[in-house]
Amino acid sequence: MNSYKLSTLSLTLRLMIFAGSAIGLSLIVSVVLVQESVKKHFSDQDLGELLVVTGSVERRLDSIDGNMRLAQEALSNAVSGHHGVYFRVDADTGEQLFLSQGGDFLYQLNDFDATKITDKTQLKNWQLDGGVYRGLVTEVSVDGKSYRVIAAMDMSFHKQFLDKFTVKMWLMMFAIGIITIGATWLGIYQGHRPLKMLSRQIRNIQTHQLDERLNPTLLPIELRNLAISFNQMLQHLEEDFERLSNFSADIAHELRTPLTNIITQTQVGLAQTRSLDECRELLYSNLEEHERLAKMVSEMLWLAQSDNNLIKPIFKVIDLNNEINELFEFFDALATERQINLTLEGDNVSIHTDRELLRRAFSNLLSNAIRHTPSGSTIQVTISQPEKNCVEIEFINSGEQIPSHHIKRVFDRFYRVVPSRSSDSEGAGLGLAITKAIIEAHNGQITVFSDSAHTVFRVRMPV
Amino acid sequence: MRILVVEDEPKTGNYIKQGLTEAGFLVTLASNGLDGHHHAMTESFDVIILDVMLPDVEGWKILQSLREVGMQTPVLFLTARDSINDRVKGLELGADDYLVKPFAFVELLARVRNLLRRGSQSTVSEQVKISDLLVDIPSRKVSRAGKSITLSQKEFLLLELFIRRQGEVLPRSLITSEVWDMNFDSDTNVIDVAVRRLRAKIDDGHDHKLIHTIRGMGYKFEDEIEADEQL
Repeated sequence: MNSYKLSTLSLTLRLMIFAGSAIGLSLIVSVVLVQESVKKHFSDQDLGELLVVTGSVERRLDSIDGNMRLAQEALSNAVSGHHGVYFRVDADTGEQLFLSQGGDFLYQLNDFDATKITDKTQLKNWQLDGGVYRGLVTEVSVDGKSYRVIAAMDMSFHKQFLDKFTVKMWLMMFAIGIITIGATWLGIYQGHRPLKMLSRQIRNIQTHQLDERLNPTLLPIELRNLAISFNQMLQHLEEDFERLSNFSADIAHELRTPLTNIITQTQVGLAQTRSLDECRELLYSNLEEHERLAKMVSEMLWLAQSDNNLIKPIFKVIDLNNEINELFEFFDALATERQINLTLEGDNVSIHTDRELLRRAFSNLLSNAIRHTPSGSTIQVTISQPEKNCVEIEFINSGEQIPSHHIKRVFDRFYRVVPSRSSDSEGAGLGLAITKAIIEAHNGQITVFSDSAHTVFRVRMPV
Repeated sequence: MRILVVEDEPKTGNYIKQGLTEAGFLVTLASNGLDGHHHAMTESFDVIILDVMLPDVEGWKILQSLREVGMQTPVLFLTARDSINDRVKGLELGADDYLVKPFAFVELLARVRNLLRRGSQSTVSEQVKISDLLVDIPSRKVSRAGKSITLSQKEFLLLELFIRRQGEVLPRSLITSEVWDMNFDSDTNVIDVAVRRLRAKIDDGHDHKLIHTIRGMGYKFEDEIEADEQL
């Protein structure tokens, strides 16, 4: 269900969701990174400044040579040039030696241990009365005496700058985000234009223009395969459609001829008073045409059913040799009269098949062969097993060669090598089409080839 | 012999009725399912011919309700669809035979006679004499006017079929199915040739012909000189 929903989501929306999240995420990440690096830069800078102050204090302490009375004056100059920096110097006894002006707040750092390591991790940040401060507590040794130097600075300025900077940053990133997403949407929209064009082209193809093809070279590479597949589908459709149209035309033609005969002979018959014998003759003649029509209709119906996969073979194991021999018996009288020899060669194979359907298919092939074989010759049926799971049955006759342009179409409905409606024995030209349909319903194949010596119908079926 | 025909198409129904009447049956025609069902339940018939595509009640329902009350009258159903489903359904519901429209009337007649004969004993005794034709069925010996005739196995089966159904017109499809067990519209030429060859052995050289061609319908085996002129 979910996957179905996802699959029907608009492509644009889908792409926008992905692109939007990617863009948004990368913008947020870059804002955070920039912010962090600015903060780091500030804290590096602050550390540097506090170290300079501490260094300066150390040098001043050094310059007084332990004379504490001079300390006050020397230290008061230590931070000249450093605005907003405050410091306090304690002796190791805890006595406060010096406190720069405005540095009262530094007591807050009293609890911290002095350290000699002077990196950022030792920086302390705190807020007081609306001011934001950053400080460092260091231990300084001068002339064997150790002092505790507490230096701190007011960084409200930095904080304000950072806050403004952050707001600007977010606004900028938001603008960039909007612009990028807009551009992405435009790109996707533009990207879908070939698809829309393709759809328009496809929509315009009507049933009478099935010969139209899409031109894949005019399309982006991603759509070329679609166009090629579509063209292939169109090709199949065109062939089937043409076959169907021809079939309808053929049906009309095949029905028209006997109907014309019936109508003509009945009207001629009725035009004058006829004797009983003449009337009977007329009825007989009509009956023959009617039977031909009925046979054609039922064959067409059968083919229509097979087209719709309604012919379901009822599979049974049968003995192929036996089956062919029974068919030979059936055709025996006809073949003997035409002085045609029927021979069977090959292995004894049992196959899984629908006996009735197979008989019908093979009887069409045999009857066809008998019709086209000159008297005095032989029709040979051979059974072989080229592979373990399939059987090949060949119906070989020495009739006239079927011209190559006909051979492709011998299985087509109503197709006859000799185009005129031949008189009696030949049916409507559906026999081989039915045979093919039966073989294919059994997942087999039938092929035909013909040279000056032989015509061979080869049936290949799964065992 | 009484036959009930349930067929809604008036032309078809009437012609079936006329044909069967002329073949010597007493025919009741019902033009819809309810009438048909009523006739079947209240009267006695030897065969029921039932169209399964009726406007009011499906033929299947009628068949089913007849079988449910234990009525065993043979039923032959007519269907317009040659699908295995229909065939199987009909036979499962207890029908005895079926025909697909369009069918030949002779075929219907032959099938009806088949159903009527079913159950009753085979009328063919072991030795048959028709005119001067002598047939010994168990030993498959045939002679006419004292002259022995050699028949192939299928030729003998064909002759046996003719003898069993003397006087009936046998459509080619029935012959194909009975003698060769081919149940489809095959090359009809085959039957013509086979009958011609049998006829050459049985009738050639005799003035009194036994195998008759009934044009447009089939063949008939009959010991009557004027048989060619009749149905």
